[in-house]
Amino acid sequence: MESIFEKLWRLGPAAFVLKAIVVAVVADALLLAFILLRRAYRKRYFAKRDACVFKWRQKWDDLLSARVPYSAWRANAFDRRIIETIALDGLEAGNPEECARILRFLRFSGLLEKRIFEARRFTGWRRMRALVALGRTRAPEGIPALADALRDRDLEARLAALRGLGRTASPKAAEEILAWVGEKGLVVPTLPLQSALIQCCAEHPQLLLPYVQNATGQLREVLGRVLGEVATPSLGLDLLQFVGDDLDELRAAAARALGHSPSGLAFDVLSELARDPIWFVRLRAVVSLGKLSERRAIPALLRGLTDSNRLVRLRAAEALLALKTEMAPIFQQVVAAGDRYGLHAYLTAVENADVLAKLEEELQSSASLPADEKGRLQNVLRSGSLVAEERASLPDFTGAARP
Amino acid sequence: MTRFLDIWNHTLFWYYLASNLAYLVMLLIALKTSAAHKRKLESYRLHWIADTPLAPPISLVVPAHNEESSIRVAVHNLLELDYPELEVIVVNDGSEDRTLEEMCEEFRLRPVRAVYFAELKCARVRGLYRSSVDPRLLVIDKEPAGSKADAANAGLNAATSPYVCVVDADSVLERDALLRIMLPILADPKRVVAVGGIIRVLNGSEIANGNLRRVRLPRKSIEVIQVIEYLRAFLIGREAWSQGNMLTIISGAFGVFRTDLVRAVGGYRPNAIGEDFDLVARLHKHLLEKRAAYRIDFVPDPMCWTEVPSDLKSLRRQRARWHKGLIDVLWLTRGMLFRRRYGRIGSFALPYLWVFEFAAPVIEILGIVTIVLAAVLGVLSRGFFLQFLLFGYAFATVISIGSVLQEEITYKRYNDWQDVARLVSYCFLEHFPYRQMHMFWRLQGIWQYLRGNNAWAPLKRKGLQSASVP
Repeated sequence: MESIFEKLWRLGPAAFVLKAIVVAVVADALLLAFILLRRAYRKRYFAKRDACVFKWRQKWDDLLSARVPYSAWRANAFDRRIIETIALDGLEAGNPEECARILRFLRFSGLLEKRIFEARRFTGWRRMRALVALGRTRAPEGIPALADALRDRDLEARLAALRGLGRTASPKAAEEILAWVGEKGLVVPTLPLQSALIQCCAEHPQLLLPYVQNATGQLREVLGRVLGEVATPSLGLDLLQFVGDDLDELRAAAARALGHSPSGLAFDVLSELARDPIWFVRLRAVVSLGKLSERRAIPALLRGLTDSNRLVRLRAAEALLALKTEMAPIFQQVVAAGDRYGLHAYLTAVENADVLAKLEEELQSSASLPADEKGRLQNVLRSGSLVAEERASLPDFTGAARP
Repeated sequence: MTRFLDIWNHTLFWYYLASNLAYLVMLLIALKTSAAHKRKLESYRLHWIADTPLAPPISLVVPAHNEESSIRVAVHNLLELDYPELEVIVVNDGSEDRTLEEMCEEFRLRPVRAVYFAELKCARVRGLYRSSVDPRLLVIDKEPAGSKADAANAGLNAATSPYVCVVDADSVLERDALLRIMLPILADPKRVVAVGGIIRVLNGSEIANGNLRRVRLPRKSIEVIQVIEYLRAFLIGREAWSQGNMLTIISGAFGVFRTDLVRAVGGYRPNAIGEDFDLVARLHKHLLEKRAAYRIDFVPDPMCWTEVPSDLKSLRRQRARWHKGLIDVLWLTRGMLFRRRYGRIGSFALPYLWVFEFAAPVIEILGIVTIVLAAVLGVLSRGFFLQFLLFGYAFATVISIGSVLQEEITYKRYNDWQDVARLVSYCFLEHFPYRQMHMFWRLQGIWQYLRGNNAWAPLKRKGLQSASVP
């Protein structure tokens, strides 16, 4: 049995080319015909669809209130698809009253039931389409079907189910998702999982705690991140158990979550986390310290200004400005720290917040500062440098052509 | 001599066949993956992504050199993009016109000392300005260095987001382009380090206030041919290469990168001729040497519309520069060829570029010479020659129509019947004499590169303003 290469070789270029020409010309003709036929078909399809959409839009109120009997359209697949699309779009754009009305319509007309059936029975793209539609309804009765689909072999179906459960934003959906990840581990990309859990756990973040404690590896990281996002003061002491965790992500999540906790409890822990060897843990801690709006946080934030990571420095500077306290004493401490990168970050935050003039004014009018100190600070503020000889090494924009 | 000519002509035939077969395989892969991508999108709702608190911030870096006519519209367009956390950094690259003044007036810029450390090499920065109208806008005014790479590096130095997207000031991004381009990153943030979007031809389309109002095919033949080229390159070439994680180029007009990685490889190389290609090649090298599990992806639906040259002189310059850029990168990455540690890039993607991109004009011109010689010596089989021409023509047309089909069944931006009819007609017309001219321009590129003539010459453009409609 000779191979295709041997056949080609034996054929020789001339004979091969003749055949190839025929094939290529036929391919050209087929491609062209396909484009033309498809265009013609789509033109007809869209004209029909637009007419149908218009017809049902005119009767929308009658449809919702069942004055148009369900039997008038349910048997026709084309009409049914269009009515369902209008209803689902309405659910995404409507106010709560309108949404409740549409959902009632979906229930009584049997559309919801049909989608639940399809989500359970179908496979592949048809199942996925049903799952997407079911998710868009946000109906609680769709949760079991969506939860079943989390165990589908097809990744796209699992993702559709996950997104659908996220859309319901219900703790029941959160329980289903958590039970599933507990059983199967991380079998979907992390972001959709996090998004779904954030939406579903927003009301009851406590649901996450046992899973975070028991999970391992990357799943623990993911759940920790979700916890950081949804944590509320109600979690209180529960978060402290993660402060010393081995997992960087979890410490960062705890730092993030503690920003929502009562300040007395969180302050010491956050100050400690602001010294963490991992930069993003320090970053989260600094941001959370800023959220606490406590003067006690100033030393930790000043330390953050001298951090080796520029994002930490910048966030520390922004947190210092967000304290709503007098800026002049803080600026004095920034200058006293003698760190040019920290000074630069602070000045950046001052200028970004457009409070440079205010700081100048505060320095001018400050009664607690001696005159020579005042002059020195004003010089630093104007030049952006700690000492004259350092000016050359810092990016100096003071002489920039003003627009 | 006769024997040599015969062998060479046969070699030419097999080379041509291999090149077109490679493209045919790519077309089939692209058709399959585009269909899958389109189906996948059915389960996404982009506004869900826009609402998630987990969408990572992006810094948009916009190098601008003498863009006074379009900069206002362009910056407004970028600030209005749908994305939850966005920072726009415009780098005024020593413009000699009123680019900076235009921005100052429109966005009420005030000088600031934003976080800026010259981590990546670039020309001296004269000033930094933040907008009082929209604090997300930062403008860097720097001295000219004659390269977009230098300006992009200045922008990278100021970027504070984990992802950076470099866009051209004269391009128009569709409103949801960032949400779409971020999809692969959001799905797998640990592995996906860069994503390229698709570049489409803006010429002929209607623009209102920096937004695309109606997509139309350009009027000039030379522009329509470029539309086909772009469709072929993006919808077939890049789509297929990215499937094998072998994408070697993300267009400089629109691509998202992980900021830390771009900084780790030293940013854009200021003296690179094709800075976008060069950056992606260095990213591959860096990550493969570190044995990192990574992906560089391409997404075919986040669209960036850009103006292409509308006169032969500008097009010639552009294509010669692109070819110089190709040689530049291929030469610098020659050490990656057929080395195991560089995986598919070293053993497949780069050799392909050497053989079917770099060498193509040389082989084509040699082919023409030998055919003429064979005819003169009387050893050319006229029948075979005609068959070969016809075959080449028909096969290349299959690929071109395939790219139009790909656009038709996936994104279908040309709605007008006339536009599609013209587009298909040009699939038949582009092979003569455009293809030969293109070959000649690329040869010029090789010649210029060998002579060290790598100066960048500006292309003639109309600008966004001129394309706008009332």
